[in-house]
Amino acid sequence: MNMLEIKHLDKSFGSKQVLHDLNLVVPQGSIFGFVGENGAGKTTTMRLVLGLEKSDRGQIEINHELVHFGQTPTNRFTGYLPDVPAFYNYLTPREYLKLCAQITKIPARQQSSRIDELLSLVGLANVKQRINGFSRGMKQRLGIAQALLNRPQLLICDEPTSALDPQGRQEFLELLASLRGQTTILFSTHILPDVERICDQVGILHDGQLRAVGSLATLKQQYAQPLLQITMATAQEAATLAQWLQQNPSLAKDAITTDASVITIPDAQENNQTWTAVLEALTQQTLIPLKIEQVAPSLEQIFLKVVQPT
Amino acid sequence: MILILFKKELRETWRTWKLPIMLIVFVIFGIMNPLMAKLTPEILKMSNLAGKLSLPAPTSLDSWTQFYKNISQIGIYLFMMIFAGIVNHEVSQHTLVNLVTKGLSRNAVIWSKWLILLGQWLSLNSLSFLVTWGYTAFYFPDNHSPHPVLAFLPLLILGCFIAGVIVFASTITRSNYQSLLIEIFMMIVLYLINLFKQTVHYNPLSLMSKNLDFLQRQNSVADYWPAMLITVGLGLLLTFLASRIFAHQRL
Repeated sequence: MNMLEIKHLDKSFGSKQVLHDLNLVVPQGSIFGFVGENGAGKTTTMRLVLGLEKSDRGQIEINHELVHFGQTPTNRFTGYLPDVPAFYNYLTPREYLKLCAQITKIPARQQSSRIDELLSLVGLANVKQRINGFSRGMKQRLGIAQALLNRPQLLICDEPTSALDPQGRQEFLELLASLRGQTTILFSTHILPDVERICDQVGILHDGQLRAVGSLATLKQQYAQPLLQITMATAQEAATLAQWLQQNPSLAKDAITTDASVITIPDAQENNQTWTAVLEALTQQTLIPLKIEQVAPSLEQIFLKVVQPT
Repeated sequence: MILILFKKELRETWRTWKLPIMLIVFVIFGIMNPLMAKLTPEILKMSNLAGKLSLPAPTSLDSWTQFYKNISQIGIYLFMMIFAGIVNHEVSQHTLVNLVTKGLSRNAVIWSKWLILLGQWLSLNSLSFLVTWGYTAFYFPDNHSPHPVLAFLPLLILGCFIAGVIVFASTITRSNYQSLLIEIFMMIVLYLINLFKQTVHYNPLSLMSKNLDFLQRQNSVADYWPAMLITVGLGLLLTFLASRIFAHQRL
């Protein structure tokens, strides 16, 4: 069962085509990390899903119900946290959430307890001042509270961690992870470690198209190989070893990178040929490494591979 | 839903000082109208014109003349100016995004704004009217103005139109100034139509310009029912159009 389905979506602003035949499926209950460079079309996609923009072509379904631009009944399923949430500055956080609660038709007798719950969840329980005096981080926290208020089936967060301090970011990611299973989450970001931590599905948007999609494990298998990292005692030793390795025809010369005393080589796993080559080089040069380890490929590596010009 | 938003609008207009400022202005009008009527002859006497003019003693009519002049020449434009951004300010600040993405109907947004404007028009003018009425009765206990309430009612009805104009202009524009320009343009159109004498019974403008007739001759009000109907109809139509346009706007 899919919570969100996007089919053949096109969108341009003037002569600039932002989305080009975008297809995207978010299964119910998943945390979907939506990754892409600035200007890749992440925000536009989210706004289209929420009926805030008009698509040029294609269709979007939430809960198997078609999304319409303008008057958007499907928004009763959604909660949205914009990248820069805007509020009524003359209200206090409690008054603002009360307004939201009334709009989402939370029964009157539950409103107060639900608001208390969320305010303490985002750390604004004791804030009595009006939103006018809020810092960006506090607004982001209130944004989280309003997005979760009506227990949406589909939570859409646009770069939610960008304005938070490290502790706030940590807490927010834990919060999202705790919703796994109950709420489907579409979560855009360019902070890749965040995605690695909590998302079970990842989609990489590039040039208005989803270039790669799947679980993190699948993507890693598909797009990246593990790396071998050799740490030497000095940069000089590392340089000597790197030079030697580059002369080995069984290794891809360009893929060997040196950063101070650390050498990184893609780990071709057939016949352990990378290991063999490294150990041979070390023996011949009588070099003793401090550490040799196999490193799992990061999402960053996958991302760069996916978006690189072909 | 409209009621929920109406409460939000009420809080907004109060806490952002719009309503308090307008309250002060309209009460000042109320106090000044009879006072100016009373003092004008005195002021003229003190000036160089003393002796050259023979001025009749002021009456309650002079006070009401001041009232309708202040509302139709200053009050209405001040009202338009202060509320010119009622829709486009929210659009440009993106404050509706959170609410609309929770399922809030856009129609409710527009109609609640029309209602809050109408509500403020009714209460501000009524307040000013009551203050003027009280002081006028105190300063000029004459019988020159037999029908003050009847004369005032058309002005209240005009509120439907004014609120519609403001909501419509604010919906189709991106800034306060553009909005104000459209509002004034619409008023100019009414004044131009008013140049044709035969339109007087149909023009919404008559509801704020013929009040002195209504004040003195009860029967004359009845002739203006088409203008009242058109005023209400236009107000509703403009608001309806605004809601149709707003339904397809980027927020």
